[in-house]
Formats: sequence, C-alpha cells, structure tokens
Amino acid sequence: MSISRTTTNKGRRRFMQGAAAVAGLALAPGYVMRPRTAKAALAMDTVHTDAAKAAKELAAGRAVTLKILQPSGSLGNVKPVADKWTEETGITVEYIEVPLGEINQKMLLEAVAKTGAFDISLPATFGIPDLVESGILVNLDQFATKYQPEGFEDDSLYSTGDYYKGSLYGYQTDGDTYVMFYLKDWLENAEENKAFSDKNGYALKVPDTWQELDAMMAHFHRPDKGMFGGALYRTQYFIAWEWWVRFHAKGFYPFDNDLNPQINNEAGVKALEELVAASQYLYPGARTNGLFENFEAYGQGDKFCNIGWGGTQKYLNSDKSKVKGKLAFGNTPGGQVGDKVLKTPYFNWGWNYVVSSVSRDPEIAYLFTLYATSPAMSTIAVRDPGGYFDPFRGAHYKDPEIIKTYSPEFLAAHEASMRDSIPDLYLKGQGEYFDVLRVALQEVDIGNKKPKEALDEVAEAWNRLTRRMGKRSQLVQWTFLKSIYPEGVRDILA
Amino acid sequence: MGGARKRARPTADARGNALMDQDTAATMPTTRIRKPLIPFNVGLVLPAQLTMLAVVLAPTLIAIYLSVTDWQPTAGVPWYRAEIVWFWNFYDLWYDERYINALWRTLLVVVVAVVCELAIAIGLALLFLDEWPWRKLAVSVLILPMMIVPVDAANAFFMLFNDRGPINHLIGMAIGRSFEFSWLSDPNWALAPIVLCEIWQWTPLMFLLMLTGFTNLLQNQIRAAIVLGASRVRIFFRIMLPLLMPVIAVALLIRGIETFKIFDAVYILTRGGPGASTETISMFMYNGAFVYFRIGYIAAAALLVLVVVVSICLALSRPLKRHHG
Repeated sequence: MSISRTTTNKGRRRFMQGAAAVAGLALAPGYVMRPRTAKAALAMDTVHTDAAKAAKELAAGRAVTLKILQPSGSLGNVKPVADKWTEETGITVEYIEVPLGEINQKMLLEAVAKTGAFDISLPATFGIPDLVESGILVNLDQFATKYQPEGFEDDSLYSTGDYYKGSLYGYQTDGDTYVMFYLKDWLENAEENKAFSDKNGYALKVPDTWQELDAMMAHFHRPDKGMFGGALYRTQYFIAWEWWVRFHAKGFYPFDNDLNPQINNEAGVKALEELVAASQYLYPGARTNGLFENFEAYGQGDKFCNIGWGGTQKYLNSDKSKVKGKLAFGNTPGGQVGDKVLKTPYFNWGWNYVVSSVSRDPEIAYLFTLYATSPAMSTIAVRDPGGYFDPFRGAHYKDPEIIKTYSPEFLAAHEASMRDSIPDLYLKGQGEYFDVLRVALQEVDIGNKKPKEALDEVAEAWNRLTRRMGKRSQLVQWTFLKSIYPEGVRDILA
Repeated sequence: MGGARKRARPTADARGNALMDQDTAATMPTTRIRKPLIPFNVGLVLPAQLTMLAVVLAPTLIAIYLSVTDWQPTAGVPWYRAEIVWFWNFYDLWYDERYINALWRTLLVVVVAVVCELAIAIGLALLFLDEWPWRKLAVSVLILPMMIVPVDAANAFFMLFNDRGPINHLIGMAIGRSFEFSWLSDPNWALAPIVLCEIWQWTPLMFLLMLTGFTNLLQNQIRAAIVLGASRVRIFFRIMLPLLMPVIAVALLIRGIETFKIFDAVYILTRGGPGASTETISMFMYNGAFVYFRIGYIAAAALLVLVVVVSICLALSRPLKRHHG
C-alpha cells in the first residue's frame, strides 16, 4: 500500500520498506530517517491555524511577502486561501501567473538564473524529478519533521508525486486522476442491451476491462446515424496516457528491475494494437481536439464514452452540456491478468505546492504550502467552480459545494480512482521518455509504423535516454517509485 | 585640441609676423598635448558596437560552447561547468532521424510557401500597376492579413480546417454530400493547412515588395519595347522581370529566412503532429530546448541550422552581387 492510501502503521511500514530499499542504493535517506514524533509536529486538526501561527512567529514583525509562481487559471483556487493566510499571519502574497504548460520551464530557468523571483510554485507533478535534479526545489524533509502532522500525507488520497528518491519535495494540491464517462441512457437502453449481449455474451455495464470497453464502442459506433463509440483522445500526450493505462492493465511495469524497458513486450504490442483498433470507433475530432474541444464535443451527447479529469466533469455537469445528469462514471478500465481483473487508474497531471531553493524565507514558504494543503484550506481551494484543483482529500468528498459542482456519482468514481492510481513516469527526463513514446504511438495510429517496430524503437530510445540521464541515479528513483505503486497493483505487476 | 595647441605655442616675439608664427607653430614640440583615450569618432560608435557584441557575439559564443557540452538545467550544474562532450552532439544529430526530417520538412515548407507567395504577389502587383477606382482601398484590404497576430491567423486556420469546419462544409456543398476529413490529423495532408496559413498571411508582404519594385522600374526600356511592337508577355519576361530580379532576390531572402523560422502556425495547428509529421526545425528546437531542456544538443542543432540558412542566403544573394557588379 502506498503512503497515501492508508492510515494504518502497516501501510507506513510497507512504504518504509520500499524507501529503505532505495536507501540501500546509497541515497540520502531523508524520508526514511525522518523522525515522526507527534510531539514535534503540529496537530492534524489545527494544522492550518498552527502553521499560520508558526509563520507569524518566524516573520517576527518583518514585512514578509511570499511570491507564488502559478499556472494561469489557478488564481481562483489559490487566492481565497492566500487571503486567509494574510489575514491570519500578516504575511502578504503576490501572484505570478504563467501559461499552463510553461510553469516547469520557468522554474528550470530560475534554477539557472537564481533571481529569487518566487518563493513558492505550483509545477505539474510529473516534472518534480527534473526540478529536483536542477536544484530549484527545497528538500522539505527537515521542515516536515518539524511541522507536518502525523497522518497529513495519509489523508491525501494521492501523494506519490510528492516524493523523489525517498525525500519530500512538495504537497499535492490537485486530484488529477483519469475518470471514464459513459452515457447512462445508452447503457440502460433495453434494445441496445439485448443486441449487445446477444453478440458478446454479457450485458452493457460500466466496463471493467479495455476489451469490454472496446466492444461497447464498436457496438455504439454508427456514424451514419450520428452516433459515435467514443471521444477518447488520439492527440499528443493523451494517446500516450491511454496506452500507459492499457499497458499497465496487462500486468507489466514499463521497466524491469534493472531499468530495461518492457514496453515492447507482447503485452505492450497487444495494448497498442487494441488502442489502434479502437481508433476506428472514435468521433472524427479525436485526432485533433484538445481538452476543451473534447469535452465540448462530448457534451453534445452523441458519443458513448469519454475519458477526462475533474475539469471535464465540471463542464459536463454545467448547463452548457446536454449530458448533465445523464452520465455514468467509472475508473479507467482494467485488464484480465490470470484470474484477476487488474485495475490501474492513472494519475497523470496534478499540481504540487513546492518551495524554491532561492527563496529568502523557505521555512515560511513551507508553512504556507502546509497551510494551503491542509484539509480545511484545501477544501476552500477545491470549491472554486472556475478553477482546476480537483478533490484530493477525504474531506473534499463530503463538502456540499464540491458535491454540487461535481455530482455525487462522479465523486464516488473519482475517490475510488484517486485511492488506487498508478503514477506517471516520475523519472528525470519524463518529458523526453513520454515524447518518444507518444510520437511512436501516433505513427502507429496513423498507419506509418507497425506496433512492434515502433515500440522496439521506443525501447531503444529509452535505453539511450536512461544512459544519458545516468542509469544508476535513474535506477534509484525507479526502485523507489515501484515501491510506492498502489499495493493491489504492485502485487500483480511484473 | 586646436585651442590647446595655441595655448602651448610660445610667443617670444610679440611683434613677430604671422608667417613666422605659422612656421614656429609647425615645428614646435607637442609634448604637452593630451591625447584622449578613445578617439572621438570611435567613442561615438562604441556604445552601439558594445551593445551588438553583448546581444549577438556573446550569445553566439555561449551557444558554440554549449554545443560541445551535454548541459541541461536539470543536471544541477551551472552551464559554465557543463561536461564537455566535444562533437558528440553533432554526431548524434547526424543520425537523429527526427532532426533530419524536420530540416527537410522545413526546407519543403520554405520552397513551397515562398514560391507560391512570390507567384501570387507578382500577379497581384501587375493587377495593381494601373490606376483604377478603389485601388488604394483594395491595397489596404489586401495587406490586412500580415497585420494579424500570427497566432490568431493560425487559430483561424485551425477552425477552418477542423473536421467540422467551413472547408469541409464547402467541399461537401460542392460535391453534394457530407464531407468529413481530418486535415490536421492526416500525416499526408496536415502540412497543407500550415503552408496555406503561411501563404495567406505573408503574401501581402511579398505583394508590397513586388508592387514597389514594379512601380520603380525605369520606363524607358518598356516604352521602347512597346514602340517596337513587343507583346505584353514578352515585355514582362524579357524586360520587367530581369529588371526586378534584385527586388525579387531580396524578397526571397527575407521571406526565406522568415519562413525557415515558422513556428506559430505549426504550434497552433498540429504541434508537430500527428507523430512528428509536421514538425519543423523551430518546433524541434522548441521541444528540445524548452520541453526536454537538452540545451547543449539543441545549441548544436541551432548551429547546424545557422550554417544551412547562411548557405541559402549566400546562394540567394549571388544575383544581387552580379547586379551590383
């Protein structure tokens, strides 16, 4: 069980074992060694007020201003919390907004320039390994030892991306797990059900496996009648993300224990063949539309299924959508591995609060991140219907305003997905690994390459990348990352 | 300085004549004259030269240095302490299929777009040579596209070529049935909207250059040809076009260099996809430098591109040299 999925000591011991394995590879064992005495840390129930009080004492009457580098569009999530922080501490907050896809780049440039332009930032979680290696992030172990309450990370449903090589570098503040959307009317239609079950031998339902989903998409795909099997993506990184889930669902890690790629094995090829075969049941915009065009298209109500995040549901649950209240939800489908159905929901984005190593007040900055991700404050942040922080703590799923924004049915699927999400490839050079993969997948999808040939090339490129990044260092992180995959998934993956 | 010299000149005989004064002045030692550290004329241009050095030479030298390193910001070391890999980046680039393809693709875009722009621009310029009602207004309307922000123009083409966009709708109307084709996701066709966008936006610039060129042609030879009974086509190909060659060369040079850097349209329309089938050299370098942060590798790629662009420029500027003797 991963660090984020249990409140029991057993889970923590398991995590410690995983981290200890990493420590055995000559790592700075920050997290493993961190004393976790409740006496030293703040109390969970009052963590936000205590963090604010501690920050106020540290500021000691100085005029401190914290500067937050954040992706544009997140102000609605950050500002209400920052306003409360200023009210309680007297420490003001300035916002520096940068385009969504550029925040990690800005941070890496800051790692070179060291201007001290910001104290806190909200990078995409998958970029944390690169940011750590660049030296721009503060290792938060010491601060966490001093302030982080017992159970703080356990209450967060996904915190795998907060750690790198066993040390804490940030706090997850956005529950970006993939969730599936289905048209309930189509699923429950008696005639469709009969026709489908006559052909496939089982009834229409929220599919458990990709094979079932592909069969349902094929069944509903009637473009001549204006019906399409699905609105899954075939663009850029989305195609790689879908393959990532399909591949994991076949029971394999992307690398073996020695960091040799396994993506080009039989399961990888099969997963790709199935993905490509499913493309024929998608709506015409699948290969061009991005996130916003996708959920607007799905909101028309003529496509059986879709994949997306909380933001997708915010749109689909609004009055702009024709499918409001007409949807069924589920985790991303799994795969049959032996006699078990392996489900591998996927956390593929998310924003993390981190502290800049160039900050003049790193301890106060850390206290802000603790404050902002505390159960009480993060609930306020997630409430903003215009923002894009999705629920990530147990408390969020009980908040009436959040329930109203997302709908109870969606939140049930989202929470289940968050609890068992597999991580992205949190290695240094994640962008390069994934870019090689997505180019190859797109080449196969458009018929330019054969699946096996393309994946062999990816595996070769990944080996080169690993050598360039430093195999020993990458292996340390990979060993650590594997140890914090969800327990149920870890038990099955080979 | 003159004043200083006069002050230094001894005047032993106050009643001495002017001629003697002049002789004396010419032969007197100048040991007391203070020479400025920087000559006045050099001082005038020095700030500009230093600025040029700072913004051109220094980055170029840094880029050359980086091209022989394997530096990435994610390495955690400053660029000046990067590991030297000598010419391995260039060696890798030689075998980097994606880089080579991006280079060829960019050259293809440059050739197709610039030739089309030139042909359309010459045609339009000929139309606008004579005076006709609303001519000035028509010129103003014609040059509007180049005033649009490139990202907006690309966005408009993204909408036009969407699978449910107006282009498909018009084709559907023409053929009498519904037409759905994903222009931007077909590897064989995705480059076409990008090139069209480029042509649409930058033909006006070419048109202005051609119109100015035609307007300033010396009329004597043309009048003589008309008097001698030459046809309009013959006059165009044998007199006007050769006279216009320097302008055409400059226009091709400007547009060639600009098109080589094409980025906005690719980024907005396809992001280099599907796969890497529309990835141009700028897109390749953007991804390499700002997505994967392979600064050393991309510096090497940029230097190679610089060599290619300079070669093209030299080739295009040969007619100009010939023209000026």
